[in-house]
Amino acid sequence: MNGGSVIETSVLTRRYGSVVALDALTVRIEPGITGLVGANGAGKSTLIKILLGLVEPSSGTARVLDHAIDGDRAAISRLVGYMPEHDCLPPEMSATEFVTWLARCSGFPPSSARERAAEVLRHVGLFEERYRPMGGYSTGMAQRVKLAQALVHDPALLILDEPTNGLDPAGRDDMLALIERTGREFGISVLVSSHLLGELERICDGVVLIDNGKLVRAERLGVLTGVTGTLLVEIDGDAAAFAASLTALGVRATFDHQVVAVTLPESPDDTAERMAYDAVRDVAVQQRSALLRMERRRGHLEDLFASAL
Amino acid sequence: MNTPSSGSASPDVETAGAPPAAPSSDGSTIHDLGYRRYSGSRVGASGAWSALYVQSLRAMFGLGRPAKAKVIPALVMIVTMLPALAIITAASASNGQVPIKYGQQVGGQLFLFVLFLAAQSPEVLSRDQQHRLLPLLFTRDVTRTSYASARFLAIFTAMFIVALAPMLLLYVGQIGIAKDPAAAFRTMGDRAWPVLAQATLSAFALTGIGAALAAWTPRRAYATAAIFGTFLLLAAVSSGLDGLAGVGLRSAELLDPLRAMRTMALIFFGETNRGMELTPPPPIGVYVALTIGLGVAGLGVLLLRMRRLRT
Repeated sequence: MNGGSVIETSVLTRRYGSVVALDALTVRIEPGITGLVGANGAGKSTLIKILLGLVEPSSGTARVLDHAIDGDRAAISRLVGYMPEHDCLPPEMSATEFVTWLARCSGFPPSSARERAAEVLRHVGLFEERYRPMGGYSTGMAQRVKLAQALVHDPALLILDEPTNGLDPAGRDDMLALIERTGREFGISVLVSSHLLGELERICDGVVLIDNGKLVRAERLGVLTGVTGTLLVEIDGDAAAFAASLTALGVRATFDHQVVAVTLPESPDDTAERMAYDAVRDVAVQQRSALLRMERRRGHLEDLFASAL
Repeated sequence: MNTPSSGSASPDVETAGAPPAAPSSDGSTIHDLGYRRYSGSRVGASGAWSALYVQSLRAMFGLGRPAKAKVIPALVMIVTMLPALAIITAASASNGQVPIKYGQQVGGQLFLFVLFLAAQSPEVLSRDQQHRLLPLLFTRDVTRTSYASARFLAIFTAMFIVALAPMLLLYVGQIGIAKDPAAAFRTMGDRAWPVLAQATLSAFALTGIGAALAAWTPRRAYATAAIFGTFLLLAAVSSGLDGLAGVGLRSAELLDPLRAMRTMALIFFGETNRGMELTPPPPIGVYVALTIGLGVAGLGVLLLRMRRLRT
């Protein structure tokens, strides 16, 4: 879709009086789903508002989908959908009216606006409720309407500010799944902010971590939280003896309670790895231990950023 | 309002053109079969502006809102038009012996227009701030300036309709009860411009004051109170100055927009009251300049507010 980056900022700075909300931030965000992570007050919302043209930067520049933020605002508003962190739903309006009206404010003709509103509301999982005044909506429903209005004009980039705020764990999972599906299936790039690193790692391709308005790290996650070279084997039996037997067979292994962590040797082809798996099987047979679970350990964002946070 | 969308009303039916439905193996309860990319036409900023304008105008009259929102607009329309109807009836019954006094009539109703303004203009300018809607608008095809202009023009249109309606009723009624309506229509030509001028100028001045105050007051109820309070305060100051020796009656009047507009109406329609006979008012140009000035100043304040507003 977009060959280059989705968002590019260059020494972007925003001061509020003596407070520096964004401090010379230079970052490049690739297409896909990107998490924007930082504590409250780290500058996430300021960055988002600058990208959206709601706040002027004190200095520095930024480009969104190859349009300069101080240049072609009309093009950016057509290509970007924004879900704010705060409440923004007039209580006496129904979701259908609200989303239709906002589609018209994005320049949709009346009939297309109605159609699009119905589609996106269905997409976010709002059915009969969408004709009721929004004042009576639960937080989960309100968040869905907010997502729907961000999608209604068919943007190429979605900017979601703390979309899981105020949701219960099940609601969070639903919202994250919805965001992931929207990003993956429709090729819409997503920048999603959160102060919770953990919840984003499931759905993100990359993470930008900021603190005190400064960039801490920006990483693609594919490699980092992908499968690692460690095999976790949960056994029913003596884990210490299991690990010792593996080590005796030349496979590095440690244990923690009932879980044995086997380091899979790296080799150009997978022969060494398969030999390690065979060793696990042989030891299990030899020790008459039941194998309860085997899985490749996945990297976690928290490990990745532990030093930074 | 049900949407007649392209045969995809049932959530179970896959929308044409949508990518193959995702395997919902994650156990999520969200069924998204409705989303698809949009490749239709876009009418752009002008469409956005008119959507905003129409929505504001409807909100000014409480249309598309619960019955509660229609109370004040309906009340003001009825209360201002009933006397006009009564005057026409009286004039008709007395065979034109009862004179139809436009200026007196509309001048006495200015306070009702203020009621309408105070109740309804916050509906279109304060609510968006109260419910924090502006960031959603300003990230669409709506700029701060186009937002302000659409809202202002919608309030002005509503005020113009409200101010014009009773005078229009008098005007049409006067032609209707004439012995020869066709002849009356021709001779009434010189009545038409004062009717339009009075409605336009008073609507413009009232809109300016209402829009400026509502835009600076993010809470609806406070905005209503601020608008009422401002008119009351100006009336109090103005009548207070009347009592002071040395201040001419007419210059004190200019401080109170309602009194000024009442006098303007009388001058427009060639009517007088006792005060005017005692102290002749300044030329009509002063009143025209005052009302235009109030409208322009209000629009300026609104634009300034929108430019400065942190969203």
